Amino acid sequence: MKRWAGVLALLLLPLGGCRADLLPYAREIEDMSLVRTLGVDADADGVAVTAATGGQGLDDPALISGSAGTLSAALLEMQGEGDSYIYFGHVGQMLLGEDLARRGVGGALDYVMRDVEMRLDTELYVIQNGQAGTTISAAWQQDSAADRLETLHDGAGLRSDSMSRTVRNVLSDLERCGASFAPALTGDGTLSTAGYALLRDGVLVGWAEGAAAAGVNLLLSRVDADVVELPQADGTAALRVVGAKTRIRGVFDGEVLTGMDVKCRVEANLAEGAPALQEEAARRRLEAELAAVEQERILAALELCRTLEGDFFSLAGAAGLSQPWRAEALRRQWDPSSLEVSVSVTAKLERSYDAG
Amino acid sequence: MGFFGRARESVPPHPRKEPRYDLPLTLESLETVFAGCADFSKRNVRLAGDGEKVITLCYISGMVRMERVSDYVLRPLAQDSALADCPDMAELMAAMEEGALYNLGVERRSATDRAAFDLVEGNCLLLFPGETEVLSFNVGTEEKRSISEPENETVLKGPRDSFVESVRTNTSLCRRHLKAPELRLREQIVGRQSVTTVDVLYLEGVVDPSLVERVQARLERIDIDAVLSTGNIEEYIIDETATAFPLVQYTERPDRFCAGLAEGRVGILIDGLPLGYLAPGVIGDFLRAPQDKSNNWMVASVISVLRYACLLLTLTLPALYIAVVTFHQEMIPTRLALSIIAAKRDVPFLSVFEVLILLLAFEILQEAGLRLPQSIGQTVSIIGGLVVGTAAVEAKIVSPAVLIVVSIAGIAGYTMPSQELAGALRIWRFLLAVLASAAGLFGVVAGAAMLVCHLAGIESFGVSYLTPFAANAGEQVEGHAVLRQPLKRTKLRPAALRTRNRRNQR
Repeated sequence: MKRWAGVLALLLLPLGGCRADLLPYAREIEDMSLVRTLGVDADADGVAVTAATGGQGLDDPALISGSAGTLSAALLEMQGEGDSYIYFGHVGQMLLGEDLARRGVGGALDYVMRDVEMRLDTELYVIQNGQAGTTISAAWQQDSAADRLETLHDGAGLRSDSMSRTVRNVLSDLERCGASFAPALTGDGTLSTAGYALLRDGVLVGWAEGAAAAGVNLLLSRVDADVVELPQADGTAALRVVGAKTRIRGVFDGEVLTGMDVKCRVEANLAEGAPALQEEAARRRLEAELAAVEQERILAALELCRTLEGDFFSLAGAAGLSQPWRAEALRRQWDPSSLEVSVSVTAKLERSYDAG
Repeated sequence: MGFFGRARESVPPHPRKEPRYDLPLTLESLETVFAGCADFSKRNVRLAGDGEKVITLCYISGMVRMERVSDYVLRPLAQDSALADCPDMAELMAAMEEGALYNLGVERRSATDRAAFDLVEGNCLLLFPGETEVLSFNVGTEEKRSISEPENETVLKGPRDSFVESVRTNTSLCRRHLKAPELRLREQIVGRQSVTTVDVLYLEGVVDPSLVERVQARLERIDIDAVLSTGNIEEYIIDETATAFPLVQYTERPDRFCAGLAEGRVGILIDGLPLGYLAPGVIGDFLRAPQDKSNNWMVASVISVLRYACLLLTLTLPALYIAVVTFHQEMIPTRLALSIIAAKRDVPFLSVFEVLILLLAFEILQEAGLRLPQSIGQTVSIIGGLVVGTAAVEAKIVSPAVLIVVSIAGIAGYTMPSQELAGALRIWRFLLAVLASAAGLFGVVAGAAMLVCHLAGIESFGVSYLTPFAANAGEQVEGHAVLRQPLKRTKLRPAALRTRNRRNQR
């Protein structure tokens, strides 16, 4: 009898008014609007937030916005707008307007880190020359912004000047090196890639575009597919770059770090070109030309580090992995603006599709 | 009326009268015992050529085979003049007992109790005037169902015989599968009114003797009216009744029963029940299908893994659905979450009620299907499952996601080789669903912990119920719990059974 009374008391415990303290709070999923894309901009009040919910043809998409002094207050303000609870546990992409990024991304990233619903693996984008809210609205008119950004994420491997970065990546880089980078999107509403936004001390300080953006991917060995066109006497040769492996080492004079040695090995296939290009001598020439192009790209990316005075790509950490016994010295003495940089690229045309 | 039902009444003592009939063994006594029994018959028989010597034949109509009575008892009495030459009844009795009558089985009875039971069991009695003892001849009918294929345990590759209601036929089936003379049969009578024969079978030299003694002792302790259903024995011999999990394994297949005996377990056969029990029964036994050893070991291993996965699925899927949909929406992939939201948009019930309603409906359908004849049962399943299910989804009473979850959990439960284990899992499935509705995944984990603690706390005849995943204190846990090894490598009997001879092959 006593045992049953105890079990009954336990079962009735949730009815005793102490549910909120002891048990998690239940909320039915159909009473929720799932936010999939969140845009944060700077405005006169502080921050303006734009959230896109639903999509996929399964749930009615909606656009909600709010503004307040802080991101937390703005998101709380948004809760009162709809007829259902706005849930941020499924935010897959976070877009930051350029103005906000120039003012500082720390607040937005800090909110993601502390909020119980938001995820650290949310992808982060910075809008170049534009507002995140306007971009999301423009994308929402045509289709779901989230769907477009998910396609962009899935196809990132097919581009040599873009890669996904999560809030966790950026936060940990900023914490470790004081600098980081995030993919940039054009502000014209098409959500096209525009290289990378470079962040130092949590503030946007510049952009890596074109060759520099491709150089970033080379430095981080993140080239899965790229086509380099090389004009030749008998036509244009198209080389499909299928992989790059970069090794970064610190150059020491005694215990003093004096330079940085970057060695990159690029593998490519001949995708298009005259049959003559498949001869050994022509192949060597193509390899040299490809190496020169990729070297230029790497140098462009490193130049940004030097001029903007930031280790945006965690090069010190990469060098530390190559020389773990000097990781601490590398971390302390790493100053891209004063280091002598030597870059060597080896290109290898592995095979051609019609080589036989 | 108390809070938990009626106030408990004091239980009167079980009326016990031994012997039941304290009367001298005479025809009058037997007539008293069977007064009001239309099937009680008696007949006076004069011995051949002797008008003086008259003995009385008693039997119960329908329980004896009349041809045997006529041919083996009455014919010699009427025709054998040597019997009439016996000087007195005592010598006549001795002559009959020593073979003057042709019947195979004959016993001398001196107590009315025993004689009455003999009559009920299908013996006929010969009463001799002036004698205090009678002769009891076994001339019972052997009317029984013929051996057929097992109905509840499908056989793909293997023998197709199954137990029948006659315990002696069942023991003969076991003898045919296990021809070792070491196969022992100990017999007991259980049930004051049913007087049911219960046989305990084991292999001498293999089984742990203390296990046999323990089973025997528990059977001896049973003092009930009748053994008419399986629970009459099962619930009295198990270690723990406060559990839904089966603690002895039953089978209607003699080959499976004998495999258990050869493994070192003790078997129980009950007269009138077409199945055999194997003790001890632990969770590993209930998750092993009989055809596992007939299949290729790799195929059997894969199926075994699948079966364990189904166990987890049937137990936790409804609870996990409730937990993630109500508390942990972040765990659901975004596209799936959007799909669930779209499906649940117009459903008026909370997720937990949806799940519980459907689980209950599932149980009701299953029960209805079992109680009805097979053809109607299938119709009920089709109408219930398809028509009502589809209508409920279209009417937005339940969401398709819940229907899918409950169906998957239900179907996964059917993969359990033991329906008793499946029944226990169904009860715990409800409990976990309720806990999930109260505390999400914390509730599910708490419920799972309760389940593990519960299982760890029960034993079957001294063997830990979680064997082979756990062992009794101080014993080594055996490996290969889920995967089936090639039989050549399985050289030892399970350690948990503490068999006298662990080696089962060279």
